[in-house]
Amino acid sequence: MSLCTRSLIVLLLPLLVVTCCVAVPLVFALDQPAAEIIIQRVEDNLNGDSLVMDFTMVVATQRFQRTMRMRSYAVGTHKSFVQILYPGKDRGITFLKIDNAMWQYVPRIEKIIKIPVSMMLQSWMGSDFTNDDLVRESSLSADYQKKILSADGQMFLIELIPKDEAAVVWGKVVMGVDKGNYLPTKVSYFDEDGLLIRELIYTDVQQFGTRLYPTRWIMLPKQAHKVGHQTTVQISNLVMDSEIDPVYFTKRALKQFSQ
Amino acid sequence: MIFQLAVRNILAHKKRSIVTLILIASSTAMLVFASAWMEGSHALMLKNAVEIYPGYIQICDKDFPAATSYDHLIFDASAIEKILNNQPNIASYAMRFESFVLFSGDEKSVGAMLTGVQPAREVYLSRLAASLQRGSYLTTDDTNQIYIGAELAKRLKVEVDDELAFVGSGADYSFTADKVIIKGIFKTGLFDFDASSAFINKKYFDHIMAAQNLATQFVVLPKNPQLAQQVAEILNAELSIKVAEQYQAQSWQQRMSGLVQAMELDSMFGYITLGVIFIVIFFVVMIYTLLAVYGRVREIGVMRAIGTTPSQIMAMLMLENGLLASLSVFAGGIVGGILAVYFEYNPIVISGMEEQFKQYGLAVSSMPTIFMPAMIVRDMTVMFVLTLLSTLYPVLKVNRIPPIEAIHHV
Repeated sequence: MSLCTRSLIVLLLPLLVVTCCVAVPLVFALDQPAAEIIIQRVEDNLNGDSLVMDFTMVVATQRFQRTMRMRSYAVGTHKSFVQILYPGKDRGITFLKIDNAMWQYVPRIEKIIKIPVSMMLQSWMGSDFTNDDLVRESSLSADYQKKILSADGQMFLIELIPKDEAAVVWGKVVMGVDKGNYLPTKVSYFDEDGLLIRELIYTDVQQFGTRLYPTRWIMLPKQAHKVGHQTTVQISNLVMDSEIDPVYFTKRALKQFSQ
Repeated sequence: MIFQLAVRNILAHKKRSIVTLILIASSTAMLVFASAWMEGSHALMLKNAVEIYPGYIQICDKDFPAATSYDHLIFDASAIEKILNNQPNIASYAMRFESFVLFSGDEKSVGAMLTGVQPAREVYLSRLAASLQRGSYLTTDDTNQIYIGAELAKRLKVEVDDELAFVGSGADYSFTADKVIIKGIFKTGLFDFDASSAFINKKYFDHIMAAQNLATQFVVLPKNPQLAQQVAEILNAELSIKVAEQYQAQSWQQRMSGLVQAMELDSMFGYITLGVIFIVIFFVVMIYTLLAVYGRVREIGVMRAIGTTPSQIMAMLMLENGLLASLSVFAGGIVGGILAVYFEYNPIVISGMEEQFKQYGLAVSSMPTIFMPAMIVRDMTVMFVLTLLSTLYPVLKVNRIPPIEAIHHV
């Protein structure tokens, strides 16, 4: 090897090594979407522009099991309307959510009740979901800082920590996201002490038109006093991105669509 | 002979004797009164806290206090009733079912407790009926009438005869809702309780909340409330044999152990404060005795010179102090006891303190003393021993002076 060639190798080799050390991870990182984008895509896939859904909710406790059937209408993440269709004694109960406010109409007492902020952590219709879940579910992208914990195999594992100014109830949320369809698989909710409070499992992904959607949601409380409790949502029908009459998202609708 | 000398010396030095008598007697009276006031006001705070709503004994599921859910109810209330009906040491009992609902008035919605109670029995077990402010108390025939706390009524902006709606979960976790009429408004003085409590006839409550033969707790009044702990133990034994080990009876001392400990801590700090004061009094008496005894050095020197032994001198001086202490402590005990009796029936009212006590969940507007002979005797004994100890050093010191030096003492 000539002196010139050897000099060239001595000069270029370190440069090559440094380039590899920097460029290769960068390439991989650039290939991987940012956590914010993952969460945004998850929310888009779950909510779309609009959503009309028929579903059955089964609430199981140590002593009882109850089944309810409902229909919900939602536009984006800020407005939703829910009608209870079954059982007979709850039929006609309606819920309206606009931004962070929620109202309920109970035909039995002919009264529209605004759910105060102090009641947000109370159970929704006796299930393991809370009123806050219905009001706040849209806030994952706005109220949390996101970080990818792992991106191995088929799943992203995203950690969501509340922003300082965000008024949220959780200390931390960890979400598993399927890399193939950007749908959530499991969401774990932790309190401010880092204790696991509940898990929401999404399964049974099915095709609805051009969309894939998890049709079975299982909420599992993890607190000691809720052993044996479970709420299962089974979606039977789903239409996304259709025109929904804006009248559904008015207080008038609470009574109008009650029966 | 020594006794006679001691009495003669007490009468001979009248000024010293009177001053010592007044000092010790007033200190004893202060100690007796302070103890009576401390214990009396604590006893009243605890009595109020127990009798307003919680009760002397509660029977519930073992897991219910920590996790108040419908999974930890009393599922066979009639079985508990059967046991309680056969207990000779129980004056009264009642069952309750507590649930959390959302009340909605015309203007506001507020979350609060709605408790199904047995109105006639509740009269003997709590102060709900006695706390009536407006309207009337519940009866066993009432249906959708509720009895609501004054602060809760204020929050909901409702009055007697107004209508309220509520939504909540029944005992089977089903959705439940109803309209109720406000029959009465109560005020116990406990702000948090008055702001978050409403009561309804359990017979009607069972119907709307699917709570037949269910209860969250039983409240029991023993015939002798002082024996609440012993009665609770008897009930526990009966419950584990005849019903289920899952149920437990707890006395108020167990359930409100935090409050009991807070009162004991307050007493301790009170006694420490008194102790500091009495240390000062101890040294005052010691110094005064030292001065008085040193004024008699020549006299003691002469007595030693004519053959009186140091132990006889010591016995005479201690007897003098002992007699003075006995008289003083007795007088102080009488005065303190009279004050304790008077203020037990005419409690001290400190206006402005109510708000402070409310922060601790206490409804107290006056602070009575308590007359307890055993406590008075204890305080008198403490003062007597303290007085004797305070005179010991001066007596020992003056007894060590050689007789010749003592005779020539100026």
